[in-house]
Amino acid sequence: MPFVRRYSDLNTNLDGLYQDIKKELQQDKDLTVSNETEGVINDVPFKAITAVRASLPRAITGTLREVTVTIAGHPDEWLLEMHTGTWFGNMILPGAGGFLVAGPFGAAATVGGTVVLAAEYGRKLKNKIKELVKKHSGKAYSESKIETFVS
Amino acid sequence: MPFVRRYKDMNTNLEALYKDIVSELQNEKELNIGKELKGDVNGVPFMSVTANRTSVPKLITGTLREATVTITGERNDYLIEMHTGEWFSNLAMPYFGATILAGPLAGLAAVGTTGLMAANYGRKLKNRIKELVKKHSKEKYTEEKVETFT
Repeated sequence: MPFVRRYSDLNTNLDGLYQDIKKELQQDKDLTVSNETEGVINDVPFKAITAVRASLPRAITGTLREVTVTIAGHPDEWLLEMHTGTWFGNMILPGAGGFLVAGPFGAAATVGGTVVLAAEYGRKLKNKIKELVKKHSGKAYSESKIETFVS
Repeated sequence: MPFVRRYKDMNTNLEALYKDIVSELQNEKELNIGKELKGDVNGVPFMSVTANRTSVPKLITGTLREATVTITGERNDYLIEMHTGEWFSNLAMPYFGATILAGPLAGLAAVGTTGLMAANYGRKLKNRIKELVKKHSKEKYTEEKVETFT
């Protein structure tokens, strides 16, 4: 489920923000940065980074598969999109239901508590990004400068 | 939006199916294979490939960002998941509405049709996977052997 925020009037250092987000992704031992895209589209600066799961998951359903963070815009008007992908996210059911739908792999995520779940990771990264936006902005952060779009 | 299908009683050569899907992704010039994962998860064979867009897109909204195909299970009972990710999909709307929301960024998709759009690519890949499943299955493909979860 993508999460998009529009930030206005924050005078944000978007390069600094991007580098810190990249570090955040690199610090996660379960992820490896697989792609970075940087450029300008119709005069709008654009940067995107994708990190994918580096190793086989211990469980499948609901486990974090990849994360992409994209920043597009200018210091006083920009968008941030965070996407966290999960395997078989539309088959997430309580344990027994998982078995009915997909055999042992459907229920696997319910077996252990040690897997990196996409939803949990997404929440953590969203909070971290909020901190980083504050750190790299030259103006005070306030809710009125932010608009959130979820589908 | 992920697309998941469960296939039963097809006696499918999953290794060969996977290899052909990887070739299919490699044939798309805008994509580059970023990661492959193969092994067993709780005793269930598992193969997954992710391809990322290699270049700066000409458009943002709705353009294909990455594609992941995962196969898990045994030859007579397996799941295929196809995920195609796109940028700013929840800002996709008619051009003027999009510009109100996000300035020039969001409206770009409406300007030209030369971008590799995730929805189009997803449809094409889904059809191609169906052909490949038939190609690599010894049993006849019938609708009752296939269940779709969206």
